[in-house]
Amino acid sequence: MRIVVCAKEVLDPDAVNNYALAGRLEIGDDGKTITQSAIPQLINGFDEQGIEAALKLRDAGADFTLTVVSIGSDQKSLLKHSAAMGADEIVALRTEATDLDASAVANILTAYIQSSGGADLVLCGRQASDDDQGVVPALIAEALGMALVPIARDLELKSDTLSVTRVTADGDEVVEGAFPAVVTVSNELGDPRFPTAKGKMAARKKKPTVVNVDELGLAAEALAPKVKLTRQFVPEIQGNCEFLTGSPADVAQKLIENLRAESVIQ
Amino acid sequence: MSSNAIVVVSWGEGRDGLPAGAVEVLTLGRKVAAAAGADLAWLVIGPASDKLAETAGQYGVASLERIEDAKLESFAPDTLVAAVSQYCESNNPKALLFNQIEETRQIAPRVAGRIGGGVVTNVIDIDASGDLKVTATAFGGDTNVVYELSGASTFAIAVNSTALVAEPAEAPTNPAAESVSVDLSSVEERFAVTQRPQAEGPRLEDADIIVSGGRGLGTPENYKLIQELAAALGGLPGASRPIVDEGWIDSSHQVGLTGKITRPALYLAAGISGASQHMAGCSAAKVLVAINKDEAASIFRYARYGIVGDCLEILPELIKAAKS
Repeated sequence: MRIVVCAKEVLDPDAVNNYALAGRLEIGDDGKTITQSAIPQLINGFDEQGIEAALKLRDAGADFTLTVVSIGSDQKSLLKHSAAMGADEIVALRTEATDLDASAVANILTAYIQSSGGADLVLCGRQASDDDQGVVPALIAEALGMALVPIARDLELKSDTLSVTRVTADGDEVVEGAFPAVVTVSNELGDPRFPTAKGKMAARKKKPTVVNVDELGLAAEALAPKVKLTRQFVPEIQGNCEFLTGSPADVAQKLIENLRAESVIQ
Repeated sequence: MSSNAIVVVSWGEGRDGLPAGAVEVLTLGRKVAAAAGADLAWLVIGPASDKLAETAGQYGVASLERIEDAKLESFAPDTLVAAVSQYCESNNPKALLFNQIEETRQIAPRVAGRIGGGVVTNVIDIDASGDLKVTATAFGGDTNVVYELSGASTFAIAVNSTALVAEPAEAPTNPAAESVSVDLSSVEERFAVTQRPQAEGPRLEDADIIVSGGRGLGTPENYKLIQELAAALGGLPGASRPIVDEGWIDSSHQVGLTGKITRPALYLAAGISGASQHMAGCSAAKVLVAINKDEAASIFRYARYGIVGDCLEILPELIKAAKS
């Protein structure tokens, strides 16, 4: 059995948020790229939880090879981290392209998975914390002809089926089906584990498999973006906050009176 | 339906009997269709209310299209994807607009993948004067991005309808209702639901009043103040992601980009800093009240009323005042 986790490197969303809240987020001269060099790059948190989901299956006794794959020009630290967590194989899909859209990314990942022996289970984060799009897993599922099981908080391998607890608007539901499948993982799965010292040692010796995207045999149209980023900006927020002051009892009284006067509450 | 139409795709029933967010997305769809010189169609899948035709007319829909099939009585993702994809293959629409809920976030990209279209989510505005250009949120709402859509005949677009206000058409239409035939006989759901969600009573998405708590509550025990105030106001308790991740309260209460997207009349946030991630789930509230110790907290930028102070001192007083 082979599990492939697809991982993306993103700008640290907390750092982006801090700059944004301080009103100091800068967009570069191209009008679309965040330029602060002080914002670190790291593995997308939901994708890291995808690795954690696989490791939990291993903890529960499942036997499989775990591959972590990432697209970009320099994924060394992401892949080392993945290896330290427990990935058996780390794969860098190399490209200098910076305008890949979700369809192109899905086509690359699909071509890699197909050319490397396939997968029984593909795990992805529910979305990347930079563009928040969350569409690549569904596109991979369609391209590979696999079922898509989104927003998982828990996975369980049964004899030859997969049972997934999903987070839905109405509460958790459990679904069960056969392999192969693409499952997306949500933060409800829990925090990813920290690499152990032993894991870090082993990761130091592990070399990534490097595959040039050009070698995957994809047609030009499979890589041409249909969704092109043309602009990024920090939205204005209209502040018109009326501050209520006084003792806790006073402000509570004022607030409830105002809300009742405006018929917001009864 | 002529090809190149703008098609709003809906299923399910919200609290007014219509699919959730449908009238907001129809309002945007009408604007897009007018700008693109295209027809506005409304594709409604599965069982639906009798108000459908009337609503379609009010919102200026040119063509109301129905897909009904025994396999679509309840949400069935593989069947839905097949149904919408078959519809696209015979009608070749320019854009499919979905109200973005958890269900559409899986269906829209799968349909796009199946038919070789493009897909974009978290959309808050669409400019159709030339090539389609959409504005979407990114980084949890810290930034907005503009994407140009070209190079595919159909684009699937998931719209965040909480950012939109429904507006009936100035000139109502009298849409022809059409039954769309699709062949779903060979489609089987690959994953079967073995345990349905336990109905946990009213949903945050439908609540008129929400009282939410965050890290500023200090300890898990203090979350009961949120529950008490919510009950006193006749509302529901919500939470920010950090306290859900720390297990103070289960994730069905999580408001935000990856939790519940709400649009209550009143949203009261206590001890929540106002990270964009959270605001994505509550900024559509008509009145937002913020209580925070830090007067520079971002949440006050969104608030109608602000109270700078310790929520542990203020919440008990609010509970008393609400009960009086």
